[in-house]
Amino acid sequence: MEELLHLAPGSALWAWSILVGASLGTYAWRGLGVLLSGRLQQHSPLFGWITCVTYAMVAALVVRIIVLPVGVLAQTPMAYRVVAAGTAVAIMMSKKNRLVPAIITGTLLMMILGWLDPISLL
Amino acid sequence: MSHLDPHAARNPWWAGCRDAFGIPAAVLVAGMIGFGALGHASGLSLGITTATTFFIYALPGQVVFVEMVALGASGFAIALAAALTAARFLPMTLTLIPQIPKEDRRPRLYAAAHFISMTSWAVMMRDFASISPRDRMAYFTGFGMTCWAVSVPATMLGYLLAGYVPAPITIGLVMLNPLFFLLSFVEVQARASRLAVLIGGLSGPIVYGWAPGWSILLCGLAGGTAAFFLDAALGRKP
Repeated sequence: MEELLHLAPGSALWAWSILVGASLGTYAWRGLGVLLSGRLQQHSPLFGWITCVTYAMVAALVVRIIVLPVGVLAQTPMAYRVVAAGTAVAIMMSKKNRLVPAIITGTLLMMILGWLDPISLL
Repeated sequence: MSHLDPHAARNPWWAGCRDAFGIPAAVLVAGMIGFGALGHASGLSLGITTATTFFIYALPGQVVFVEMVALGASGFAIALAAALTAARFLPMTLTLIPQIPKEDRRPRLYAAAHFISMTSWAVMMRDFASISPRDRMAYFTGFGMTCWAVSVPATMLGYLLAGYVPAPITIGLVMLNPLFFLLSFVEVQARASRLAVLIGGLSGPIVYGWAPGWSILLCGLAGGTAAFFLDAALGRKP
């Protein structure tokens, strides 16, 4: 693509042209969803199957981000992320309407583990 | 605000805006602050880092974009990888829109679709049942717009604060985002959906190690189909 447009990799224009492609590629899924949703009946087996596919996709992505992240989280040991996430889920499942304490505990635990870095002390 | 303005509560668009301020906005702002810091650390400009939030508005894809641009990967590979992580938006939109009455679906739905994110989707899947169908379009638009509108300045803030925020705080803020979605799975009610979450979640990291780019699509299609038939095989039960 960049060869066709004679854009030097690393230049600002190169990055912006990729952003256009990535944005259109992302919106395409949203737009296609609107286009196809016109014929879809809620409470049909097809709708039930798509709901399953959606939850499986989203769950695969979220668990992957926690277990095998890229970016800032990748610098932390997997054990910290699993402990923080596991604690938050346990709080969430302990009672109804536990979202706020669960999310605050999980986030603070992640910050504390990252700060103290107990594994490095072993 | 509702106690000051009696009409506010009856305006579903405004109710959506208001409900977005709270946990959903906090989750997005935290995630975008972390993302802005990543853009800074990767050597991208403030403009392009912010523009990814404005135009892509899907954190996993934005992270892929920033990391691959920093590595100087091929432009086509970057756009493809970012677009593939966004495949979830197709079924997400397909499960959201049919819950909005047909007469409310106008061409502007194509604009509103940009506001579909993991956050707005998770909240709508949970709360649409308790919202009158004729209010859903306006409620979603207000909610989704607010989430998007707070994300853009939060990205800039994260970029500008990068280096001033201690690393453990940034790590916690970045963790807030996936944590919120993980916790929202606990609230999923239907057995078929719960099975899908379980199968998708367990297979996600395994398939990712083997086919990183296609793992979301594969786990979704194969895992979701398995959950659908497993639920049917288990017979009638809520």
